Amino acid sequence: MTAVARRPFRAGPAVLALVLAALAAAAVLALLAADPAFDGGAGDPMATLVLVHSTLPRLATALIAGAALGLSGGLFQQVLRNPMASPTTLGVSAGANLGLVVATLLMPGLLGFGRDLVALAGSAAAACVVLFLGARRGFSPFSMVLSGLVISLWCGALAAILTLLNDRYLVSLFIWGAGSLSQQSWDVPLTLLFRFVAVAVCSVLILRPLSVMELGEESAAALGVKVARLRVMAVAAAVVLAAFVTSAVGVIGFVGLVAPIVARLAGARRTSEILVWASVIGGAVLLFVDAGLQIVAGRFSEFLPTGAITAVFGSPLLLLLLPRLKTRHRMLPPAQTPRRPLVKGRKTALLVAAGLAVAVLVGLLLGRSVDGGWALAYGTTAGELLPIRAPKVVATLASGALLAVAGAMLQRLTGNEMASPEVLGISAGATFGVAAAIFLLPAPQLAGQLGAASIGAFAVLGVILATSLRSGLAPERILIAGIALGAMVDAVVGVLSSLGDPRALLLMRWMSGSTYAVNAGTAGIVAAAAALLIILALLFRRWLDLLPLGPVHSRALGVPTTLSRLVLFVLAGLMTAAATLSVGPLSFIGLMGPHLAREIGLARALPHMAGAAALGGGLMVLADWIGRTAFFPYQVPAGLVSALVGAPFLILVLRRRA
Amino acid sequence: MGHPINPAQPARQAERSEAGGFETLGVSLDIGGIAILNDISLPFPKGEFVALVGHNGSGKSTLLRIMARQQRPGAGSVLYDGQDVHRLDDRNFARKIGYLPQDVTAGADMTVRELVACGRYPWHGPLGRFTDTDARKVDEALSATHLDGMAGRLVGTLSGGERQRAWIATLIAQDSECLLLDEPTAALDVAHQIEILNLVRKLCGERGVGVVIVLHDINLAARFCDRIHALAHGRVVASGSPKVIVSSESLKRIYGIDMGVIAHPGLDIPLAYVA
Repeated sequence: MTAVARRPFRAGPAVLALVLAALAAAAVLALLAADPAFDGGAGDPMATLVLVHSTLPRLATALIAGAALGLSGGLFQQVLRNPMASPTTLGVSAGANLGLVVATLLMPGLLGFGRDLVALAGSAAAACVVLFLGARRGFSPFSMVLSGLVISLWCGALAAILTLLNDRYLVSLFIWGAGSLSQQSWDVPLTLLFRFVAVAVCSVLILRPLSVMELGEESAAALGVKVARLRVMAVAAAVVLAAFVTSAVGVIGFVGLVAPIVARLAGARRTSEILVWASVIGGAVLLFVDAGLQIVAGRFSEFLPTGAITAVFGSPLLLLLLPRLKTRHRMLPPAQTPRRPLVKGRKTALLVAAGLAVAVLVGLLLGRSVDGGWALAYGTTAGELLPIRAPKVVATLASGALLAVAGAMLQRLTGNEMASPEVLGISAGATFGVAAAIFLLPAPQLAGQLGAASIGAFAVLGVILATSLRSGLAPERILIAGIALGAMVDAVVGVLSSLGDPRALLLMRWMSGSTYAVNAGTAGIVAAAAALLIILALLFRRWLDLLPLGPVHSRALGVPTTLSRLVLFVLAGLMTAAATLSVGPLSFIGLMGPHLAREIGLARALPHMAGAAALGGGLMVLADWIGRTAFFPYQVPAGLVSALVGAPFLILVLRRRA
Repeated sequence: MGHPINPAQPARQAERSEAGGFETLGVSLDIGGIAILNDISLPFPKGEFVALVGHNGSGKSTLLRIMARQQRPGAGSVLYDGQDVHRLDDRNFARKIGYLPQDVTAGADMTVRELVACGRYPWHGPLGRFTDTDARKVDEALSATHLDGMAGRLVGTLSGGERQRAWIATLIAQDSECLLLDEPTAALDVAHQIEILNLVRKLCGERGVGVVIVLHDINLAARFCDRIHALAHGRVVASGSPKVIVSSESLKRIYGIDMGVIAHPGLDIPLAYVA
């Protein structure tokens, strides 16, 4: 699929697999040699018991899960002809994880009935959404991976926040969710092996037509392959494998992505070779990582999720592989039929302004009284309540506007409708900064947290820009780099959280985007930042009008491409960082605001950004208000509310436009 | 759109070639060890209508991209009015040179007028005011391309020929001295090909705009252009007036097949046909 695959060195994959297998075997031997069952205490029945019923099944699970993920990734990459496809990058694993978390919380009985089925439902739902979004762009690899990672982020955030809301009750689930391989018996590896073999046999049956797919969709169809049916079957097989693995051991990041790519780089060319060697390499890699982890972490490894570790190492690999994204696929322009606005001209502006005013008034004046009833604040009550409510409303309004304008800029800059501040990795950087502050500083105050968040956000932005500078800051590179870094930071946060430290909950509370701690001071800072940065963004409207035409046209018209991209990315980064500090990293307002603005017919950069700002700000105020009143006396974080409502809504909008 | 203007005007050609315009000096480009362009030195005099022809993969589009600064040459340089084009800043270059790539699928969600107004960017820049002059130039470009009636239509709803005209209007609004056009007729039927070429020819004649155009059809090139440069396998194989280029012998060198040539029954130009 890539240029490298043309090398006629066919023994390559076998040699490489052998080397990896030898490495894994060495790690396993080293691990077992140190095992107390062999290590002097030969007669100790307890040590033998642990070896037979915990250590060995764990290693077997690693081997089988790795092989299954490798096969799943190989199937995805072959059938979608997308070198970046995998259970992780398409959001399939995250979907399965979310399904299991939701089932555990709402209908624990369902898990007893069929744990795999629950996982399968979750991953199938995620796969459907990603494929649906991908189909609209001719399955362009970049678009698919971007939507997949957005779905991943959303599922991951939701799962994490559900865990947060149910605190201690779900900590074990959280460790599992991050991909823990520890076992207490042979049940899991045996059932997993049985399922892996079943799906592998099915994949052999579709091997022939899958090989023909290499020629491209149209040629394959001309040769008599039922392309649509084949695609469904192969994707189903891959989804089922990923769901089984997730159900058994949680989310293991990036093995499914890396194994087929490594197989291909080693010289595997035909579909059959890639599938076989991807399975072998996947098994060897996961076994090696897990055995190595057990050696390094010792007994502590029970609680250290292997999946998070593979993500920490896998993300940089994704960065390295970026230049190989140039495959036979061409970036397709959005298949959108232009539509006339619903309302015209001034009327739109008036309607948007009125909507914003209503949102602000509701946020300020309508609330719950002490006995739980609805109460409209007026007179003296208003005088007492406003100083409490106004900072929240101002902060959410400003943050929503910032995120929406940043999203509008990123979407225009990249020409991709799924681009948003969340996927730029800046939010993740801010989270990482706060995590570092919480874990490293004795008792960081709000100011300390804010500072740490800014440092984290800018560190990530710096790395992203540095790695993509060589490509002239090509937007697609920047987004994928951002996502890769974001996934890595998430994995690190996952490891920190799974250590069972109570400070992890503090971090998650912050991540869910609560305005609980906002006071007049923070609100003022965010509002000032919003005013300044949004005005700056509006000044660059000319660039933002021309850049969506693509680099060739905009260069021909005299726009300095690299410079304008640098300026706009930095501006979007600043906006995201400022907003993240008050409403948390995951609100999806940066996706919703611009889309809504476009939906009501604001197409040019200036009205688009202004409309997005008003709509995003208004939505965020409403989300905060719903969070404060819906489950009174409890508060649900504003970021969580908008993410919950926003993502499904967004899919509806995109569907309508298709 | 009336009859095509008689293309062969050697007198004007000679007088203009002194006045600058584009010139490539030993332009070469390697991609992955394969020579795409090999030591291309060609004149593109100001105000002339020049065609670049050649077989698929001959390097003609690449040469045009290098002239448009979309790509840097591996060796050699491109001069415009005696100055290295890479030394001009972005907007200054865009004021002098307009470039129309092959792919014009962008801008589908703009109205025609908005798209044409994009051509004014090199003049007003990121922060400048959109002046009355800018508005007038846009109106002129719309009427020159007969798009006045469609100014409010969305570009995505236009037919292939109309869309091509809208993009050419953008280049007219850009008000540059020289247009680089990459196969602007590729996806059009014969009537629309003639319509576009007539339009460009008229611009060249009336406004003194220089044109460098990549064309597939040697007969269209001979009919509309003052001068033809032919590339094969990344080298210049023929260069001169249509009458010189359209001969069996040089066509064999350009396309590698045997072709015959007859005189046009109505006009004083040669016609090539496959024997």
